[in-house]
Amino acid sequence: MEAVKTSEKTTLQVKRFKPSENPTTNFFTEERGLKAWLTTVDHKKIGLMYLGAVAFFFALAGFLAIALRTELWTPAKTFIEADTYNKLFTLHGAMMVFFVLVPSIPAALGNFILPMQLGAKDVAFPRLNLASFYIYLIGAVFTFIALFMGGFDTGWTFYTPYSSDGDSATVIWVTLGVFILGFSSILTSTNFMTTIHKLRAPGITWDKLPLNIWALYATSIIQILATPVLAITILLLSLENIMDIGIFDPAKGGDPVLYQHFFWFYSHPAVYIMIVPGFGIISEVITTFSKKTIFGYWAIALSSLAIAFIGFLVWGHHMFTSGQSPVATTIFSFLTFLVGIPTGIKIFNWVATLYKGSIDMKTPMLYVFIFLFLFSIGGFTGIMLGALSVNIHLHDTYYVVAHFHYVMMGGTLMALLAGLHYWWPKMTGKMYNETLGKVAATLIFIGFNMTFLPQFVMGAQGMPRRYYNYIDQFTPFHQTSTVGSYVLGVAFLIILYYLVKSLMSDEKAPANPWESRGLEWQSTSPPDLHNFDHTPVVINKPYDYHRPMEEFQLGLAVEHNGHGEAHDVDVKETEQENS
Amino acid sequence: MSADNHTHHIATAKQLWTVGIALVILTLLTVVVSNLPIPSPLDIIVALSIALVKAFLVAAFFMGLYWDVKFNSMLLIGAVVFFILMVSVTLLDTLYRDDVVPSF
Amino acid sequence: MANHSATHPAHVQHHFVDSDQQFESAKMGMWVFLVNEILFFGGLFTAYIVFRAWYPDLFTQAAQELNKLWGGVNTIVLIGSSLTVAMAIRSAQKNQKRGLELNLLFTIILACVFLVIKYFEYEHKLHLGIAPGSFWNPTPEILAELSHPKANIFFSIYYVMTGIHGLHVLVGIGLMIWLYIRARKGHFSSEYYTPVEITGLYWHLVDLIWIFLFPLLYLIE
Repeated sequence: MEAVKTSEKTTLQVKRFKPSENPTTNFFTEERGLKAWLTTVDHKKIGLMYLGAVAFFFALAGFLAIALRTELWTPAKTFIEADTYNKLFTLHGAMMVFFVLVPSIPAALGNFILPMQLGAKDVAFPRLNLASFYIYLIGAVFTFIALFMGGFDTGWTFYTPYSSDGDSATVIWVTLGVFILGFSSILTSTNFMTTIHKLRAPGITWDKLPLNIWALYATSIIQILATPVLAITILLLSLENIMDIGIFDPAKGGDPVLYQHFFWFYSHPAVYIMIVPGFGIISEVITTFSKKTIFGYWAIALSSLAIAFIGFLVWGHHMFTSGQSPVATTIFSFLTFLVGIPTGIKIFNWVATLYKGSIDMKTPMLYVFIFLFLFSIGGFTGIMLGALSVNIHLHDTYYVVAHFHYVMMGGTLMALLAGLHYWWPKMTGKMYNETLGKVAATLIFIGFNMTFLPQFVMGAQGMPRRYYNYIDQFTPFHQTSTVGSYVLGVAFLIILYYLVKSLMSDEKAPANPWESRGLEWQSTSPPDLHNFDHTPVVINKPYDYHRPMEEFQLGLAVEHNGHGEAHDVDVKETEQENS
Repeated sequence: MSADNHTHHIATAKQLWTVGIALVILTLLTVVVSNLPIPSPLDIIVALSIALVKAFLVAAFFMGLYWDVKFNSMLLIGAVVFFILMVSVTLLDTLYRDDVVPSF
Repeated sequence: MANHSATHPAHVQHHFVDSDQQFESAKMGMWVFLVNEILFFGGLFTAYIVFRAWYPDLFTQAAQELNKLWGGVNTIVLIGSSLTVAMAIRSAQKNQKRGLELNLLFTIILACVFLVIKYFEYEHKLHLGIAPGSFWNPTPEILAELSHPKANIFFSIYYVMTGIHGLHVLVGIGLMIWLYIRARKGHFSSEYYTPVEITGLYWHLVDLIWIFLFPLLYLIE
């Protein structure tokens, strides 16, 4: 009945709540209609709206990528003018980075899953959460305004002086769009950090946090520390365009390399904003489909934080050829090698988790294996690029393009697809076609390598990035790459097809189709409006697959106000009753 | 953490006024010191030290960090640490360049 | 969760267990936001430090154009407003409605005084043609004093730093007015004063930034 507080531990009376397989109500049915969706403060609906928006921008930017690859079919002009080509690759990069990769995992999947994994009813500031979505949309509107005003061809990095002289009006619009977007990620990460600290269900101590939460926590830290620097950079750049304040523009006495420092102080950590949440998903999926405790829980959890920290000190490796001092270059190169260590720790721990696991090759797991393969290539080539002498040769070539696509698409996007397939039944209550899922995953693997492997070769042979024309010797590589991009396009269409089809079908997914021990799976599919119809109590570590399922379905036997007090204490001496 | 949840510390009026007056005195001090002929790197150090003491007073007592949960202090310190990292690593470049502002 | 809402006071949102959890969350959220603010201004301070390290003479020379007296007065005005905010929180904690209203009102007045002084400082400089960026057009006498070829950059930094800080003061005034209206309506008590507390945190940060801006911009000899 009551919580007895001893020196360290609270004893709570709990009983088992088995999730219902056929819920009568869920968060789709409880608030209906367009208005309810647009004004909702429910983290699940906001997450799904983010998912829709991210998918839209991904389709758009992906379409641009295919247009760019088609243009590169022949060495000279194929069907796009050179100026248009410059604008299209800028748009492809800017949209993929700011509208897709940065918000994709945290704001879409994270929003949905994070409170559920914590056993919370919502994020700490639900209204700010909704605001962050609208701010994201407003940022998008600004970018589209820039687009309709004629586009911008600065590259997604907006380097001065490209961005400070020339057509400044469109640059002002798009940079303001990015400025506004920054607020959206600031609000999301503020919400996540506070939720993780203050809204955990009874029993979830720091050593019982799912690794997905650790990853989102590390991501939030990076976003909070880095995004404001992007904001001020962008603001100064806008002022540079509006009134020539002369801090960055060399023509006015400023220093363009200082701009690059500012920009990469955000944008290098930003690549960790994109990839670290992916690490979280991999940890979740790999344990579920190996039916095994994660190997090296603390190593994985803390390496996320280590990446977050070291990731702040390596930004200068984007600037090896910019004219920065040799001292800085050397130190940045050294630190860049360091950041490989925590990432390597993760990979080894995941592989060790697989060892002697009972591996179930479902679609999400397939994406995890694709991730491990592609991300390792991306990571290793990153180490090569971090070496000073090699970098001079490879800087601004297709080698770099291939490297970051292996990391961003082969890493983040594969993790996103793994997470999307993994949580799809939880989010929608529907199950997709497994066979088609595997076909699409295979096609993505083939198409991806066809597209980007030749680019490593081209880059090493000296093909510069962002070029409209190329010499004939590169034709076969470019054409292979273009065909590969078409295969990727087809694969994504297949995914779209079977996901939409699963939504249309009447067949319901079970509450826990993967037999996962994760707290988010101990709710109905789709979940109730308040996630759980009880206050969950956690007594086991998140990946204790050797413990029976009943022990993961506990909740407070009697609702009382002990929830908040029990936050940082263990739950002990539980009495079990069947509900 | 959970134990302090119920005690919202109320600072006494005397504490707040003392801090306020100390801040005003330090402001006057920093203006006076700036007029003294102190050699170059030292004058910046003195001015910043006074500013740091003032900042500490504001953060600890006006913002209540002295009585608050430790984590909020960690957030503030973390922000300052990362700011210092940003400055010092940028200076590694700007102070040691061959050309101050690269010319194109 | 019907049994939950029955025990909930009106100000506690449904997803919190109790008032304390909500208060602590709001406060932590504000601190996280302040981390953002610090790094936002941090970018400007970095630009300042980089340029000062490059051109120390420029900073000594250009700072002579700034008025130490008014900068100092403004510092004291802001410190005063921080004190009144702290007193406002204290009043709220002690259920003193009148004290809360008065202290908020003092804060608003002091913040306005700060902006008025700032306005006259700007006005004076713009009059002499010491304007940011492309509006840089100093009178010949001023130009004789500011012989450094990069003098415009110091004032760009000056205007951006103080301008963004002034914008924060303006936002703060808006928030204080909002708090004042709510205080008049009797929304706050010792049980619930979260908005006062977290707006106070914001206001103190604005003060903190100025504590550093003042010696770095005005007090260079």
